[in-house]
Amino acid sequence: MKRFLRDNGLSVGFGAMFLAALVGQAFAGQADFNERQLAQGGERLSLLQYLTSSDFAVNVAENWQSEYLQFFLYVFATVWLVQRGSPESKPMDEIGTESDEKQQLGRYSTEDSPAWARAGGWRTAVFSRSLGLVMAVVFVLSWFAQSVSGLSVYNAEQLAELQDPVSWAGYVGSAEFWNRTLQNWQSEFLAVGSLAVLSVYLRQRGSPESKPVGTSHATTEKSG
Amino acid sequence: MYWRPVKGRAAAAAGLPGSGRGNYRGMLRKTLATACGLVVLSGAAACGTGQRESGASAVAEAFSSAIERGDADAACAALAPETLEAMVASEGEPCEASLTSQELPSGAVGDVAVWGDRAQVRTEGDVLFLVELEEGWKVAAAGCSPQGDLPYRCEVSG
Repeated sequence: MKRFLRDNGLSVGFGAMFLAALVGQAFAGQADFNERQLAQGGERLSLLQYLTSSDFAVNVAENWQSEYLQFFLYVFATVWLVQRGSPESKPMDEIGTESDEKQQLGRYSTEDSPAWARAGGWRTAVFSRSLGLVMAVVFVLSWFAQSVSGLSVYNAEQLAELQDPVSWAGYVGSAEFWNRTLQNWQSEFLAVGSLAVLSVYLRQRGSPESKPVGTSHATTEKSG
Repeated sequence: MYWRPVKGRAAAAAGLPGSGRGNYRGMLRKTLATACGLVVLSGAAACGTGQRESGASAVAEAFSSAIERGDADAACAALAPETLEAMVASEGEPCEASLTSQELPSGAVGDVAVWGDRAQVRTEGDVLFLVELEEGWKVAAAGCSPQGDLPYRCEVSG
């Protein structure tokens, strides 16, 4: 058990933090929702009712979509974009999808290579892009979930304020939808960009996100 | 709100997604589970809408026919507490008296839109706004006419 926890520290640790934050969000979100209901003469919801409400769904989905967009773009962009001196980047001379030898594909694959990496054809083509694809699919699904649950929340507010509800297309083109979306995107892009740059000049001893403390600022792709 | 996969050898050592065959399958399973969760999330909003539409429609119809036959008691009983309170405060007389003098439009119920705990019901002569409370649907606003991009102007509202 101890060994399992050590070997899976990142997934277990972040999984636990995710659940704790989600529970916290549920309680805070319910309290916030019920305050708004009180002001608008609506009925208050129990925690269970709130967990199945569109209000909770849109708040969860809008953050998920931006995180998975960030994953997708980071995985995809770092194939083509580099940052000299950053441990987040690969060396300047390796821009692009790299050689089969470097990627251990075709005759360079080993017995330990995943089956789809050895299979060739469409399987290898899909597997070679699977990380970015999966991130992109979860991003699109989350964004769609945000649009559906956001429409429900938006229209309930419209009706409470004695205004007409809008269609899904109308909501996806609305200022409300893009305000929710872009305020998440800008923070993700800033965080990724600043980490790539700051890690050129700053260090975190022992972290694979940083270069070794004594490495020169000019050294690219070296985890410490 | 930032996190990204650990790359290269560190990823393989930690057994993270993309670092081996078994983990790749595990990642797919987790992704499918996430996708299912998202479908549930987005579908939660739509569950049971038809049933609630007919509930809102029935209350709007009862309110409208009470207005039509001049049954102010029944019409006032269909109003939401906040609306009732606001009406008595602004008119300075009991609900029954002010509803009788206001001559609200009535007519058969047409389109119904339900979103969350709110509904909009169009009748032949009126647009009604309803709110769903513990005791069921109640009329939050009646005698409403559109004002372009602005909220409806309603003869009766909270």
